[in-house]
Amino acid sequence: MTYLFSVITAAFIPAMAAVIIAYGLSQKAPVYDYFIEGARKGLETALDILPFLIGIFLAINCLSASGLLNLVNRVLQPFFRLFGVPPELLPLICLRAISGSGSLIIVKDILEVTGPDSYAGRAACVMAGGCETVIYVLALYFGVTGVKKTRHALAGGLIGYFTGVIVSLVICKFL
Amino acid sequence: MNYIWSVIFLAAFLCACCTGQLQAFGTALTDSSSEAVTFLIGLAGIMAMWSGLMEIAERTGLITKLSRLLIPLTSFLFPHVKNPQTISSIVLSFMANIFGAGNSSTVFALRTMEKLDEENRYRSEASNDMCTFAVVNMAFAPLLPVVMLQIRTDAGAEDPYSVVLPSILTAACTVTVSILACKILERRH
Repeated sequence: MTYLFSVITAAFIPAMAAVIIAYGLSQKAPVYDYFIEGARKGLETALDILPFLIGIFLAINCLSASGLLNLVNRVLQPFFRLFGVPPELLPLICLRAISGSGSLIIVKDILEVTGPDSYAGRAACVMAGGCETVIYVLALYFGVTGVKKTRHALAGGLIGYFTGVIVSLVICKFL
Repeated sequence: MNYIWSVIFLAAFLCACCTGQLQAFGTALTDSSSEAVTFLIGLAGIMAMWSGLMEIAERTGLITKLSRLLIPLTSFLFPHVKNPQTISSIVLSFMANIFGAGNSSTVFALRTMEKLDEENRYRSEASNDMCTFAVVNMAFAPLLPVVMLQIRTDAGAEDPYSVVLPSILTAACTVTVSILACKILERRH
């Protein structure tokens, strides 16, 4: 099963590129010209999102440098202990919604302390295994559009996020 | 976003004052701006490549064909989206997420948001479809969390793959809850 997944994962991107180009050729389209035109548009989009990217990197890095998350950890610790959540996981739970690369470092720390096959180690991997982080998605996705009011996107994202945290804790307990 | 951003920033500043981390705070301020540019340069290349390939797919009609197959899948989540390019874009970015395409999936997602924004007629408020798409994308997890597996192997795990099934189950729950949350929250409007 996992072998099948790894084959699909490895093949998906190259196969897609090949199909697009092959189909284009079969339609006798000037594929190379189209590609260049599209690539130019892509670079323009990249430039468009740069200001948003700087904004979000700024907020995230300042937050992690300020030590605020450590403070939040300390306040929440007794609460989480009540539910039997391993204390090592707390920094990850706080950071994962904000920074993907930052949480990878925390996962490495957790695996070192508790061991990769422990309950805390596995739960950490499941928690951090998702694709995107809430704040990053919010800033970038809505940055690229002209939208000012994001409405229920943050609330929905956070509900999903905490569901993920709770479910991964429960599932790793039983599996 | 204005509030979220300022609150994060000011809370971080106050905390840095209290904990005496102002030096680190200052460094973070300057470093993060250049970090963002470095990150974008990497992303820009991938973005250009995919926009190039998608331009071919769009102009040769492949996208339109594909979307006809996919309408049944998206009509539940995005009942108002009829434009074939938007539909294919949505499904492609979901697929890129599931197959763990990393930055490529971000590129697809951004294209989708632009397309959804066109259907939203560039209003200043996000449409229901835009919110649903963003929230579902936050909840997705790759079928095979390659980065996690690598970290686990490096850490000397006996069974690095023991997190694959829990990850998929967790993502399934999260996606379901996220969709429900969106459908409920959008009614308040």
